[in-house]
Amino acid sequence: MMTSPGIDALIEGVILGIGNELMPFLSNEKAQASAAMMQSLLQGVRQLLPVYEQSLISEHNAMTATLRSVALLLADVAGPEAERIRERGASEGQRADAPDTVVIAGVAEAHRELGQALEASVSDLDVLQRAGGPDALKADAALAEIRAYLTPTYLNLYQAMTVGGGFLGRS
Amino acid sequence: MFQAGIERTLSLPRQVSTAIPAQDWLFLVDSGDRRKLVDRRKTNLAAGWRILFGPGLQPKLSMRYSRRTLARAATDGTLQCRLAERPWGRMNDQLAQYLRQRIEGVESVTISGLAPIPGGFSRETFRFDATVTRNGESELLPLILRKNPPEAQAILVTSRQVEHELIETIRAETNIPVSKSYGAETDASVFGEEAMVIERMHGNGHTTDLFNGGPDSDQVEDVIRHLCEVLAELHTTNVDTLNVGGQLSDPRGVGVTTTSWDDYMDSTFEYYISSYSSINYDPGAIVMLDASLTLRRNKPRPLPLCLVHGDFNPANFLYENGKVTALIDWENSRIGDPREDLGWMVAMDNMSNTSVMAHPVTEGGFLAYYNKLTGFEITPEELGYFILFGTMNIAVPVATGIKRRVIGEHHQLLHLYLLQPSMATLVAFTQLLAYPGAPT
Repeated sequence: MMTSPGIDALIEGVILGIGNELMPFLSNEKAQASAAMMQSLLQGVRQLLPVYEQSLISEHNAMTATLRSVALLLADVAGPEAERIRERGASEGQRADAPDTVVIAGVAEAHRELGQALEASVSDLDVLQRAGGPDALKADAALAEIRAYLTPTYLNLYQAMTVGGGFLGRS
Repeated sequence: MFQAGIERTLSLPRQVSTAIPAQDWLFLVDSGDRRKLVDRRKTNLAAGWRILFGPGLQPKLSMRYSRRTLARAATDGTLQCRLAERPWGRMNDQLAQYLRQRIEGVESVTISGLAPIPGGFSRETFRFDATVTRNGESELLPLILRKNPPEAQAILVTSRQVEHELIETIRAETNIPVSKSYGAETDASVFGEEAMVIERMHGNGHTTDLFNGGPDSDQVEDVIRHLCEVLAELHTTNVDTLNVGGQLSDPRGVGVTTTSWDDYMDSTFEYYISSYSSINYDPGAIVMLDASLTLRRNKPRPLPLCLVHGDFNPANFLYENGKVTALIDWENSRIGDPREDLGWMVAMDNMSNTSVMAHPVTEGGFLAYYNKLTGFEITPEELGYFILFGTMNIAVPVATGIKRRVIGEHHQLLHLYLLQPSMATLVAFTQLLAYPGAPT
């Protein structure tokens, strides 16, 4: 394994190379904007790398907990949607917490499956909410639980991945 | 005529002193001196062609090779050169021909200053001037070519023909300032993709000059007052007058119907929700599903359907002397709810660090003046709903393009880059949906 230069330094080198050795020779303004986008994407990867694995692990564990909480909130709600949500809580929600040191490929796959379980739950909750009545209030609370999980993940992703607001080429 | 990307063999004279005929002088295209390259009077190369490299020739920046160098590079009296077409190289000739067909009584057309306009994600735009001679008199027309991107790159699939017809209808039927359109070219073989040519209107397009102590701050009150009046006129003009042939009821062809306000809203919800499988490049895009379902659960009161601009934001108008000189970029225009334009302006006003919605101050702000002009009595809460609704309208095609890139349908850099602004949009959704812990 190579540590000097490390991954970060390698990417930084590419960014500098684009700036020093490519951009000064581009006369086309569109091409200049494309080169700046490449730099920005690479800088985003540099920012993502230090937090990527840890975020994946903590979000994996937070999603299993969320699926369990959502199922619990609908414990006494009847109907196929609530039943499916409880089943997810009993299956996906029972996944063991990801350890601190993991084979990342396996966690990434599980992370995706858990995300898909939340997607399906949002659709099911919508059916309960539109049906109205007391169950709709419980569905509201369950949706709020999912939303509470999602907020920090989006903020984390935005802070980790976006450079300069992501508005290159628009001005 | 040279062909793009093929080898061409040039015969060189054995004697350097006799020189190569002028028409075979060669230039290497590169960055520093592009004007020399495109100037046909200097190069004698057919417009649009360049030499990328030739065996025995070291790359030089924008310098023509001397006859001596060429002769030295030729080992047997011939020189192999690889030629390629500049991306917009032949466009000069094509534009001249296009305008000759569309401007009545024209004797000659000369194109100059063709250059791409940076910015904007959905259309390729080029600025150029056309010197048109009619009845022995010359006139300089400042123009813009708006061209569809290649299919794989397209984010918003819309028709330039429909945009042309809309612009000309607006010019004929309203007082809304728009650029004259010279017509759409639907034959993709002419410009590479469907395209249209429009007038390049006078006025300042750097609208940020109006705000935050910018050089035109003294005009902001008058300009935004006029902008509001323009929007109010657009929204109160009879729909049937502007929706010629019904082409703007569902310009994306996604199943939206406009027989009534309820039909429009319900079919649009269906479009958003059914699109989710095409936009969830990652399950992390779940907030867009949540947004679509939440919109459907909370449908507001109806208002009369109208023609909406579709991208009414602080960057899409020009101004001069306290007046809007043009409302631009009509490609996303369609029949919709008038609150969509207002909601989108609120969202983009925030993101652009401008303050359109705060003006005209003397009328209590943009919404108050708009309500006074239209009588719609739109509330800030309703605008909140339509910020979300309008953002979804843009997010669906953008996220679809991203997903196509992520799953490998194409390899456009732009679509990969769009992940970054999309992250900001996902956070914005959490705000609009009032997620617990979302930034306020």
